[in-house]
Amino acid sequence: MEVCTFEKVGIRGTNIVVLGVEKKSVAKLQDERTVRKICALDDHVCMAFAGLTADARVVINRARVECQSHKLTVEDPVTVEYITRFIATLKQKYTQSNGRRPFGISALIVGFDDDGIPRLYQTDPSGTYHAWKANAIGRSAKTVREFLEKNYTEDAIASDSEAIKLAIKALLEVVQSGGKNIELAIIRRNQPLKMFSAKEVELYVTEIEKEKEEAEKKKSKKSV
Amino acid sequence: MAATFFGEVVKAPCRAGTEDDEEEEEEEEEEGRRETPEDREVRQQLARKREVRLLRRQTKTSLEVSLLEKYPCSKFIIAIGNNAVAFLSSFVMNSGVWEEVGCAKLWNEWCRTTDTTHLSSSEAFCVFYHLKSNPSVFLCQCSCYVAEDQQYQWLEKVFGSCPRKNMQITILTCRHVTDYKTSESTGSLPSPFLKALKTQNFKDSACCPLLEQPNIVHDLPAAVLSYCQVWKIPAVLYLCYTDVMKLDLITVEAFKPILSTRTLKGLVKNIPQSTEILKKLMTTNEIQSNIYT
Repeated sequence: MEVCTFEKVGIRGTNIVVLGVEKKSVAKLQDERTVRKICALDDHVCMAFAGLTADARVVINRARVECQSHKLTVEDPVTVEYITRFIATLKQKYTQSNGRRPFGISALIVGFDDDGIPRLYQTDPSGTYHAWKANAIGRSAKTVREFLEKNYTEDAIASDSEAIKLAIKALLEVVQSGGKNIELAIIRRNQPLKMFSAKEVELYVTEIEKEKEEAEKKKSKKSV
Repeated sequence: MAATFFGEVVKAPCRAGTEDDEEEEEEEEEEGRRETPEDREVRQQLARKREVRLLRRQTKTSLEVSLLEKYPCSKFIIAIGNNAVAFLSSFVMNSGVWEEVGCAKLWNEWCRTTDTTHLSSSEAFCVFYHLKSNPSVFLCQCSCYVAEDQQYQWLEKVFGSCPRKNMQITILTCRHVTDYKTSESTGSLPSPFLKALKTQNFKDSACCPLLEQPNIVHDLPAAVLSYCQVWKIPAVLYLCYTDVMKLDLITVEAFKPILSTRTLKGLVKNIPQSTEILKKLMTTNEIQSNIYT
Protein backbone atom coordinates (compact mmCIF):
# COMPACT_ATOMS: atom_id res chain seq x y z
CA MET A 1 0.00 0.00 0.00
CA GLU A 2 2.81 2.36 -0.89
CA VAL A 3 1.28 3.98 -3.93
CA CYS A 4 0.96 7.76 -3.88
CA THR A 5 1.54 8.12 -0.13
CA PHE A 6 3.79 10.41 1.79
CA GLU A 7 6.44 9.25 4.24
CA LYS A 8 5.73 8.50 7.88
CA VAL A 9 8.43 7.50 10.36
CA GLY A 10 8.02 6.07 13.84
CA ILE A 11 10.84 5.68 16.38
CA ARG A 12 10.74 4.04 19.77
CA GLY A 13 13.25 5.68 22.08
CA THR A 14 14.11 4.82 25.66
CA ASN A 15 11.83 7.42 27.23
CA ILE A 16 10.04 8.80 24.20
CA VAL A 17 8.19 7.74 21.08
CA VAL A 18 8.40 9.91 17.99
CA LEU A 19 6.13 10.09 14.95
CA GLY A 20 7.32 12.15 12.00
CA VAL A 21 5.31 12.67 8.82
CA GLU A 22 5.89 14.30 5.48
CA LYS A 23 3.48 17.19 5.02
CA LYS A 24 1.48 17.07 1.82
CA SER A 25 1.38 20.31 -0.13
CA VAL A 26 -2.04 21.80 0.44
CA ALA A 27 -4.03 23.66 -2.19
CA LYS A 28 -4.14 27.45 -1.73
CA LEU A 29 -7.74 27.68 -0.71
CA GLN A 30 -7.69 24.61 1.49
CA ASP A 31 -7.75 24.94 5.28
CA GLU A 32 -4.55 23.26 6.41
CA ARG A 33 -5.95 22.32 9.79
CA THR A 34 -8.42 19.88 8.25
CA VAL A 35 -5.62 17.85 6.67
CA ARG A 36 -4.82 15.54 9.56
CA LYS A 37 -1.91 13.17 9.45
CA ILE A 38 -1.13 12.33 13.08
CA CYS A 39 -4.22 11.42 15.10
CA ALA A 40 -4.54 10.81 18.82
CA LEU A 41 -6.49 7.68 19.67
CA ASP A 42 -6.29 8.39 23.39
CA ASP A 43 -4.12 10.55 25.69
CA HIS A 44 -1.29 8.05 25.60
CA VAL A 45 -1.63 6.53 22.09
CA CYS A 46 -1.44 8.13 18.70
CA MET A 47 -1.21 6.94 15.13
CA ALA A 48 -0.09 8.00 11.67
CA PHE A 49 -1.40 6.26 8.57
CA ALA A 50 -0.49 5.99 4.92
CA GLY A 51 -3.13 5.30 2.30
CA LEU A 52 -6.75 6.20 1.68
CA THR A 53 -7.74 9.10 3.94
CA ALA A 54 -11.41 8.14 4.09
CA ASP A 55 -10.62 4.58 5.16
CA ALA A 56 -8.33 5.93 7.86
CA ARG A 57 -11.08 8.17 9.19
CA VAL A 58 -13.39 5.19 9.68
CA VAL A 59 -10.69 3.10 11.37
CA ILE A 60 -9.63 5.96 13.66
CA ASN A 61 -13.20 6.65 14.76
CA ARG A 62 -13.74 2.99 15.62
CA ALA A 63 -10.43 2.87 17.49
CA ARG A 64 -11.25 6.00 19.48
CA VAL A 65 -14.62 4.61 20.53
CA GLU A 66 -12.94 1.36 21.53
CA CYS A 67 -10.39 3.21 23.66
CA GLN A 68 -13.13 4.92 25.69
CA SER A 69 -15.29 1.81 25.86
CA HIS A 70 -12.33 -0.11 27.26
CA LYS A 71 -11.68 2.61 29.84
CA LEU A 72 -15.30 2.56 30.99
CA THR A 73 -15.58 -1.20 31.10
CA VAL A 74 -12.23 -2.20 32.52
CA GLU A 75 -11.38 1.15 34.21
CA ASP A 76 -7.92 1.04 32.67
CA PRO A 77 -6.63 2.80 29.57
CA VAL A 78 -5.93 0.52 26.61
CA THR A 79 -2.45 -0.85 26.09
CA VAL A 80 -0.89 0.03 22.77
CA GLU A 81 -0.87 -3.64 21.83
CA TYR A 82 -4.59 -3.99 22.61
CA ILE A 83 -5.66 -1.14 20.40
CA THR A 84 -3.31 -2.27 17.64
CA ARG A 85 -4.81 -5.75 17.83
CA PHE A 86 -8.28 -4.23 17.69
CA ILE A 87 -7.42 -2.25 14.56
CA ALA A 88 -5.70 -5.24 12.96
CA THR A 89 -8.68 -7.51 13.70
CA LEU A 90 -11.03 -4.95 12.19
CA LYS A 91 -8.90 -4.80 9.05
CA GLN A 92 -8.75 -8.58 8.81
CA LYS A 93 -12.55 -8.86 9.03
CA TYR A 94 -12.83 -6.76 5.91
CA THR A 95 -10.51 -9.08 3.98
CA GLN A 96 -12.76 -12.04 4.64
CA SER A 97 -16.23 -10.65 4.00
CA ASN A 98 -18.24 -10.69 0.82
CA GLY A 99 -19.15 -7.39 -0.76
CA ARG A 100 -16.48 -5.48 1.15
CA ARG A 101 -12.99 -4.42 0.25
CA PRO A 102 -10.02 -4.20 2.64
CA PHE A 103 -9.15 -0.91 4.33
CA GLY A 104 -6.50 0.69 2.17
CA ILE A 105 -4.23 1.94 4.94
CA SER A 106 -1.04 1.03 6.74
CA ALA A 107 -0.69 2.53 10.20
CA LEU A 108 2.06 3.30 12.67
CA ILE A 109 0.74 3.25 16.23
CA VAL A 110 2.88 4.61 19.06
CA GLY A 111 2.37 5.16 22.75
CA PHE A 112 3.25 4.26 26.32
CA ASP A 113 1.63 1.53 28.33
CA ASP A 114 0.75 1.90 31.99
CA ASP A 115 3.94 0.09 32.91
CA GLY A 116 5.90 2.93 31.30
CA ILE A 117 7.25 0.90 28.36
CA PRO A 118 7.23 2.68 24.99
CA ARG A 119 5.67 0.80 22.05
CA LEU A 120 5.62 1.11 18.28
CA TYR A 121 3.44 -1.11 16.09
CA GLN A 122 2.78 -1.25 12.39
CA THR A 123 -0.38 -2.65 10.78
CA ASP A 124 -1.10 -3.24 7.10
CA PRO A 125 -4.23 -3.84 5.00
CA SER A 126 -4.07 -7.60 5.47
CA GLY A 127 -4.61 -7.20 9.20
CA THR A 128 -1.18 -8.28 10.39
CA TYR A 129 0.63 -6.26 13.01
CA HIS A 130 4.16 -6.29 14.27
CA ALA A 131 6.15 -4.44 16.90
CA TRP A 132 9.08 -2.39 15.69
CA LYS A 133 11.93 -0.42 17.19
CA ALA A 134 11.77 1.98 14.27
CA ASN A 135 9.88 1.81 11.00
CA ALA A 136 8.66 3.83 8.05
CA ILE A 137 5.61 3.60 5.79
CA GLY A 138 4.92 5.37 2.50
CA ARG A 139 6.22 5.58 -1.06
CA SER A 140 9.94 5.56 -0.23
CA ALA A 141 9.64 3.43 2.90
CA LYS A 142 12.46 1.16 1.73
CA THR A 143 14.97 4.01 1.56
CA VAL A 144 13.96 5.34 4.96
CA ARG A 145 14.03 1.87 6.53
CA GLU A 146 17.55 1.30 5.20
CA PHE A 147 18.62 4.61 6.75
CA LEU A 148 17.08 3.62 10.08
CA GLU A 149 18.76 0.20 10.00
CA LYS A 150 22.12 1.90 9.63
CA ASN A 151 21.56 4.64 12.19
CA TYR A 152 19.30 3.21 14.90
CA THR A 153 21.74 2.54 17.71
CA GLU A 154 21.39 2.56 21.48
CA ASP A 155 23.26 5.88 21.54
CA ALA A 156 20.98 7.34 18.91
CA ILE A 157 17.89 6.79 21.05
CA ALA A 158 19.46 7.33 24.44
CA SER A 159 18.21 10.89 24.82
CA ASP A 160 14.90 12.37 23.71
CA SER A 161 16.48 14.99 21.47
CA GLU A 162 18.63 12.37 19.73
CA ALA A 163 15.57 10.23 18.99
CA ILE A 164 13.75 13.26 17.58
CA LYS A 165 16.76 14.14 15.44
CA LEU A 166 16.94 10.59 14.12
CA ALA A 167 13.29 10.77 13.02
CA ILE A 168 13.89 14.09 11.27
CA LYS A 169 17.09 12.87 9.62
CA ALA A 170 15.28 9.78 8.33
CA LEU A 171 12.54 11.92 6.80
CA LEU A 172 15.03 14.36 5.29
CA GLU A 173 16.42 11.43 3.26
CA VAL A 174 13.30 11.41 1.13
CA VAL A 175 11.29 14.57 1.76
CA GLN A 176 11.65 17.02 -1.09
CA SER A 177 11.92 20.50 0.41
CA GLY A 178 13.44 19.94 3.83
CA GLY A 179 12.14 20.97 7.25
CA LYS A 180 9.18 22.98 6.00
CA ASN A 181 7.47 19.79 4.93
CA ILE A 182 7.89 17.83 8.15
CA GLU A 183 5.40 17.47 10.96
CA LEU A 184 6.40 15.87 14.24
CA ALA A 185 4.62 14.49 17.29
CA ILE A 186 6.08 12.99 20.45
CA ILE A 187 4.80 11.22 23.54
CA ARG A 188 6.92 11.19 26.68
CA ARG A 189 6.29 8.84 29.59
CA ASN A 190 3.28 9.99 31.62
CA GLN A 191 2.79 13.02 29.42
CA PRO A 192 0.17 13.66 26.75
CA LEU A 193 0.81 13.86 23.02
CA LYS A 194 2.78 16.93 21.95
CA MET A 195 2.65 18.26 18.37
CA PHE A 196 5.69 20.27 17.34
CA SER A 197 5.19 23.64 15.71
CA ALA A 198 6.94 24.47 12.45
CA LYS A 199 9.45 26.66 14.34
CA GLU A 200 10.40 23.85 16.70
CA VAL A 201 10.95 21.49 13.77
CA GLU A 202 13.08 24.14 12.04
CA LEU A 203 15.26 24.45 15.18
CA TYR A 204 15.99 20.73 15.07
CA VAL A 205 16.65 20.82 11.33
CA THR A 206 19.12 23.70 11.80
CA GLU A 207 20.87 21.74 14.57
CA ILE A 208 21.10 18.69 12.30
CA GLU A 209 22.58 20.75 9.49
CA LYS A 210 25.15 22.29 11.86
CA GLU A 211 26.18 18.83 13.05
CA LYS A 212 26.54 17.68 9.46
CA GLU A 213 28.77 20.63 8.60
CA GLU A 214 30.94 20.06 11.65
CA ALA A 215 31.28 16.37 10.81
CA GLU A 216 32.31 17.25 7.26
CA LYS A 217 34.88 19.79 8.51
CA LYS A 218 36.36 17.16 10.81
CA LYS A 219 36.58 14.71 7.93
CA SER A 220 38.36 17.17 5.67
CA LYS A 221 40.79 18.13 8.49
CA LYS A 222 41.59 14.44 9.05
CA SER A 223 42.30 13.85 5.38
CA VAL A 224 44.65 16.88 5.29
CA MET B 1 -28.20 -33.12 -32.05
CA ALA B 2 -26.36 -33.56 -28.81
CA ALA B 3 -27.36 -33.79 -25.18
CA THR B 4 -25.53 -31.61 -22.69
CA PHE B 5 -24.71 -32.39 -19.11
CA PHE B 6 -27.86 -30.71 -17.87
CA GLY B 7 -30.12 -32.72 -20.16
CA GLU B 8 -31.11 -30.07 -22.67
CA VAL B 9 -30.67 -30.82 -26.34
CA VAL B 10 -28.57 -28.49 -28.46
CA LYS B 11 -27.83 -28.50 -32.13
CA ALA B 12 -24.25 -29.61 -32.66
CA PRO B 13 -22.42 -27.89 -35.53
CA CYS B 14 -22.19 -30.15 -38.58
CA ARG B 15 -18.70 -30.89 -39.81
CA ALA B 16 -19.91 -32.72 -42.93
CA GLY B 17 -20.48 -29.53 -44.88
CA THR B 18 -23.48 -27.44 -45.75
CA GLU B 19 -26.94 -28.53 -44.81
CA ASP B 20 -30.14 -27.35 -46.49
CA ASP B 21 -31.04 -25.13 -43.51
CA GLU B 22 -27.78 -23.27 -43.67
CA GLU B 23 -28.19 -21.97 -47.25
CA GLU B 24 -31.05 -19.72 -46.20
CA GLU B 25 -29.07 -18.40 -43.27
CA GLU B 26 -26.12 -17.61 -45.51
CA GLU B 27 -28.28 -15.59 -47.91
CA GLU B 28 -29.63 -13.53 -45.06
CA GLU B 29 -26.15 -12.89 -43.77
CA GLU B 30 -24.94 -11.73 -47.18
CA GLU B 31 -27.73 -9.20 -47.44
CA GLY B 32 -26.70 -7.79 -44.11
CA ARG B 33 -23.07 -7.75 -45.21
CA ARG B 34 -23.70 -5.88 -48.43
CA GLU B 35 -22.49 -2.36 -47.90
CA THR B 36 -24.79 0.51 -48.51
CA PRO B 37 -23.39 3.81 -49.79
CA GLU B 38 -24.05 5.31 -46.34
CA ASP B 39 -21.96 2.61 -44.72
CA ARG B 40 -19.15 3.30 -47.14
CA GLU B 41 -19.36 7.02 -46.42
CA VAL B 42 -19.26 6.49 -42.67
CA ARG B 43 -16.36 4.07 -43.00
CA GLN B 44 -14.40 6.57 -45.12
CA GLN B 45 -15.14 9.40 -42.70
CA LEU B 46 -13.92 7.30 -39.80
CA ALA B 47 -10.76 6.36 -41.69
CA ARG B 48 -10.09 10.03 -42.43
CA LYS B 49 -10.65 10.98 -38.80
CA ARG B 50 -8.29 8.27 -37.57
CA GLU B 51 -5.56 9.17 -40.04
CA VAL B 52 -2.14 9.85 -38.55
CA ARG B 53 -0.65 12.99 -40.02
CA LEU B 54 2.92 14.18 -39.65
CA LEU B 55 3.14 17.95 -39.79
CA ARG B 56 6.09 20.24 -40.38
CA ARG B 57 6.96 22.50 -37.47
CA GLN B 58 6.47 26.02 -38.76
CA THR B 59 4.06 25.67 -41.61
CA LYS B 60 1.98 22.86 -40.07
CA THR B 61 1.66 21.31 -43.52
CA SER B 62 1.91 17.57 -43.95
CA LEU B 63 5.27 16.06 -44.73
CA GLU B 64 5.32 14.56 -48.23
CA VAL B 65 7.75 11.80 -47.36
CA SER B 66 8.33 9.99 -44.09
CA LEU B 67 10.33 11.79 -41.39
CA LEU B 68 13.43 9.61 -41.54
CA GLU B 69 13.45 9.61 -45.34
CA LYS B 70 13.47 13.39 -45.29
CA TYR B 71 16.18 13.74 -42.63
CA PRO B 72 19.12 11.36 -42.22
CA CYS B 73 19.24 9.71 -38.83
CA SER B 74 21.96 7.92 -36.88
CA LYS B 75 20.28 7.81 -33.46
CA PHE B 76 16.58 7.86 -32.63
CA ILE B 77 15.37 8.00 -29.03
CA ILE B 78 11.63 7.52 -28.56
CA ALA B 79 9.89 8.18 -25.22
CA ILE B 80 6.38 6.79 -24.98
CA GLY B 81 4.27 7.64 -21.93
CA ASN B 82 4.43 10.56 -19.52
CA ASN B 83 7.15 9.21 -17.22
CA ALA B 84 9.50 8.39 -20.10
CA VAL B 85 8.76 11.81 -21.62
CA ALA B 86 9.56 13.53 -18.30
CA PHE B 87 12.84 11.60 -18.11
CA LEU B 88 13.97 12.72 -21.55
CA SER B 89 12.77 16.29 -20.93
CA SER B 90 14.80 16.65 -17.74
CA PHE B 91 17.93 14.69 -18.55
CA VAL B 92 18.41 14.83 -22.31
CA MET B 93 16.57 17.85 -23.63
CA ASN B 94 18.10 20.18 -21.08
CA SER B 95 21.63 19.14 -21.95
CA GLY B 96 21.62 20.45 -25.51
CA VAL B 97 19.72 22.57 -27.97
CA TRP B 98 16.93 20.57 -29.59
CA GLU B 99 14.92 21.88 -32.49
CA GLU B 100 11.40 20.73 -33.20
CA VAL B 101 11.14 19.25 -36.69
CA GLY B 102 7.56 18.13 -36.70
CA CYS B 103 4.67 16.67 -34.79
CA ALA B 104 2.19 13.87 -35.30
CA LYS B 105 -1.50 14.66 -35.15
CA LEU B 106 -3.94 11.87 -34.52
CA TRP B 107 -7.30 11.18 -33.00
CA ASN B 108 -8.70 8.06 -31.36
CA GLU B 109 -11.21 7.25 -28.64
CA TRP B 110 -8.58 7.73 -25.94
CA CYS B 111 -6.89 10.94 -26.94
CA ARG B 112 -6.55 13.80 -29.32
CA THR B 113 -3.11 15.32 -29.71
CA THR B 114 -2.51 18.99 -29.02
CA ASP B 115 0.10 21.30 -30.41
CA THR B 116 1.71 22.22 -27.13
CA THR B 117 4.41 20.24 -25.44
CA HIS B 118 3.46 21.38 -21.97
CA LEU B 119 3.97 18.33 -19.81
CA SER B 120 0.55 18.04 -18.29
CA SER B 121 -0.91 14.63 -17.60
CA SER B 122 -4.15 15.64 -19.28
CA GLU B 123 -2.71 16.71 -22.62
CA ALA B 124 -1.41 14.32 -25.24
CA PHE B 125 1.21 15.13 -27.84
CA CYS B 126 3.70 13.51 -30.18
CA VAL B 127 6.59 15.78 -31.14
CA PHE B 128 9.84 15.11 -32.98
CA TYR B 129 13.10 16.94 -32.33
CA HIS B 130 16.65 16.84 -33.61
CA LEU B 131 19.83 18.02 -31.95
CA LYS B 132 21.00 21.29 -33.45
CA SER B 133 24.68 20.45 -33.03
CA ASN B 134 24.21 17.00 -34.59
CA PRO B 135 21.06 16.91 -36.73
CA SER B 136 21.20 13.17 -37.27
CA VAL B 137 20.24 12.58 -33.62
CA PHE B 138 16.46 12.46 -33.28
CA LEU B 139 14.16 12.41 -30.32
CA CYS B 140 10.44 11.70 -30.11
CA GLN B 141 8.25 12.66 -27.14
CA CYS B 142 5.03 10.71 -27.43
CA SER B 143 2.55 11.02 -24.58
CA CYS B 144 -0.53 10.12 -26.63
CA TYR B 145 -2.04 6.68 -27.03
CA VAL B 146 -1.61 5.35 -30.56
CA ALA B 147 -4.39 2.83 -31.28
CA GLU B 148 -3.72 -0.54 -32.91
CA ASP B 149 -5.09 0.52 -36.28
CA GLN B 150 -2.98 3.68 -36.23
CA GLN B 151 0.34 2.11 -35.28
CA TYR B 152 1.18 0.95 -38.81
CA GLN B 153 0.40 4.43 -40.19
CA TRP B 154 2.58 6.02 -37.50
CA LEU B 155 5.47 3.72 -38.40
CA GLU B 156 5.09 4.41 -42.10
CA LYS B 157 4.94 8.18 -41.62
CA VAL B 158 7.98 8.16 -39.33
CA PHE B 159 10.22 5.40 -40.68
CA GLY B 160 8.93 5.07 -44.22
CA SER B 161 8.44 1.92 -46.25
CA CYS B 162 12.14 1.24 -46.74
CA PRO B 163 14.12 2.46 -43.74
CA ARG B 164 17.87 2.91 -43.54
CA LYS B 165 19.64 0.28 -41.48
CA ASN B 166 22.55 2.37 -40.19
CA MET B 167 20.64 3.94 -37.32
CA GLN B 168 20.13 2.89 -33.73
CA ILE B 169 16.74 3.12 -32.03
CA THR B 170 16.19 3.41 -28.28
CA ILE B 171 12.65 3.24 -26.92
CA LEU B 172 11.67 4.15 -23.37
CA THR B 173 8.29 3.31 -21.89
CA CYS B 174 6.45 2.28 -18.73
CA ARG B 175 4.05 -0.46 -17.83
CA HIS B 176 2.13 -1.24 -14.66
CA VAL B 177 3.84 -3.82 -12.47
CA THR B 178 0.62 -5.88 -12.32
CA ASP B 179 1.31 -6.81 -15.95
CA TYR B 180 4.63 -8.36 -15.01
CA LYS B 181 4.41 -12.13 -14.86
CA THR B 182 6.86 -13.83 -12.56
CA SER B 183 7.12 -16.85 -10.33
CA GLU B 184 8.43 -14.61 -7.53
CA SER B 185 6.04 -13.10 -5.04
CA THR B 186 4.86 -9.72 -6.34
CA GLY B 187 5.30 -8.21 -2.90
CA SER B 188 9.06 -8.70 -3.15
CA LEU B 189 9.41 -6.97 -6.54
CA PRO B 190 11.64 -3.88 -6.25
CA SER B 191 9.17 -1.72 -8.13
CA PRO B 192 9.92 0.39 -10.13
CA PHE B 193 12.45 -1.70 -12.05
CA LEU B 194 13.84 -1.70 -15.57
CA LYS B 195 13.79 -4.51 -18.15
CA ALA B 196 15.15 -4.48 -21.69
CA LEU B 197 14.16 -6.12 -24.96
CA LYS B 198 16.32 -5.81 -28.05
CA THR B 199 16.32 -6.74 -31.74
CA GLN B 200 18.69 -9.31 -33.20
CA ASN B 201 20.88 -6.65 -34.79
CA PHE B 202 21.42 -4.73 -31.54
CA LYS B 203 24.93 -5.81 -30.57
CA ASP B 204 25.57 -3.61 -27.51
CA SER B 205 24.64 -4.85 -24.07
CA ALA B 206 21.57 -3.48 -22.32
CA CYS B 207 22.09 -1.65 -19.03
CA CYS B 208 19.56 -3.84 -17.21
CA PRO B 209 18.32 -7.46 -17.26
CA LEU B 210 16.41 -8.62 -20.32
CA LEU B 211 12.66 -9.11 -20.19
CA GLU B 212 11.92 -12.73 -19.35
CA GLN B 213 9.25 -14.94 -20.90
CA PRO B 214 6.23 -15.05 -20.81
CA ASN B 215 6.12 -11.24 -20.52
CA ILE B 216 5.27 -9.35 -23.70
CA VAL B 217 5.45 -5.74 -24.81
CA HIS B 218 2.28 -3.93 -25.93
CA ASP B 219 1.13 -0.98 -28.04
CA LEU B 220 3.40 1.43 -29.91
CA PRO B 221 6.70 0.29 -28.32
CA ALA B 222 5.93 -3.26 -29.50
CA ALA B 223 5.07 -1.98 -32.98
CA VAL B 224 8.35 -0.05 -33.25
CA LEU B 225 10.43 -2.94 -31.96
CA SER B 226 8.73 -5.43 -34.31
CA TYR B 227 9.27 -3.07 -37.22
CA CYS B 228 12.97 -2.75 -36.36
CA GLN B 229 13.32 -6.53 -36.02
CA VAL B 230 11.73 -7.10 -39.44
CA TRP B 231 13.89 -4.43 -41.11
CA LYS B 232 17.04 -5.58 -39.24
CA ILE B 233 17.54 -2.21 -37.52
CA PRO B 234 19.40 -2.32 -34.17
CA ALA B 235 16.89 -1.28 -31.53
CA VAL B 236 16.47 -1.65 -27.78
CA LEU B 237 13.41 -1.09 -25.64
CA TYR B 238 13.77 -0.11 -21.98
CA LEU B 239 10.59 -0.95 -20.13
CA CYS B 240 10.05 0.37 -16.61
CA TYR B 241 7.58 -1.62 -14.53
CA THR B 242 6.09 0.70 -11.93
CA ASP B 243 3.24 0.78 -9.47
CA VAL B 244 2.39 4.42 -10.20
CA MET B 245 1.35 5.19 -13.75
CA LYS B 246 0.88 8.92 -13.28
CA LEU B 247 3.87 11.29 -13.40
CA ASP B 248 6.05 10.14 -10.52
CA LEU B 249 9.57 11.08 -9.44
CA ILE B 250 10.65 7.61 -8.36
CA THR B 251 9.46 6.03 -11.63
CA VAL B 252 11.27 8.63 -13.73
CA GLU B 253 14.46 8.14 -11.72
CA ALA B 254 14.27 4.40 -12.39
CA PHE B 255 15.31 5.20 -15.98
CA LYS B 256 18.64 6.65 -14.77
CA PRO B 257 20.80 3.54 -15.58
CA ILE B 258 20.11 4.29 -19.27
CA LEU B 259 22.22 7.44 -18.95
CA SER B 260 25.32 5.25 -18.91
CA THR B 261 24.53 3.56 -22.25
CA ARG B 262 26.43 4.44 -25.41
CA THR B 263 23.41 6.13 -26.95
CA LEU B 264 22.77 8.61 -24.17
CA LYS B 265 26.24 9.07 -22.71
CA GLY B 266 27.28 11.82 -25.09
CA LEU B 267 23.91 13.54 -24.88
CA VAL B 268 23.65 14.10 -21.13
CA LYS B 269 25.76 16.75 -19.47
CA ASN B 270 24.56 18.11 -16.18
CA ILE B 271 22.88 15.41 -14.10
CA PRO B 272 22.43 17.37 -10.80
CA GLN B 273 20.81 20.21 -12.70
CA SER B 274 18.59 17.76 -14.52
CA THR B 275 17.47 16.28 -11.21
CA GLU B 276 16.47 19.77 -10.04
CA ILE B 277 14.54 20.37 -13.25
CA LEU B 278 12.77 17.04 -12.78
CA LYS B 279 11.76 17.95 -9.21
CA LYS B 280 10.34 21.28 -10.43
CA LEU B 281 8.41 19.43 -13.13
CA MET B 282 6.91 17.16 -10.52
CA THR B 283 5.77 19.95 -8.25
CA THR B 284 4.15 21.91 -11.08
CA ASN B 285 2.28 18.83 -12.20
CA GLU B 286 1.28 17.55 -8.79
CA ILE B 287 -2.38 16.72 -8.79
CA GLN B 288 -4.00 18.05 -5.65
CA SER B 289 -5.62 14.81 -4.65
CA ASN B 290 -7.03 14.40 -1.17
CA ILE B 291 -7.72 10.72 -1.53
CA TYR B 292 -4.34 9.68 -0.22
CA THR B 293 -2.36 10.83 2.78
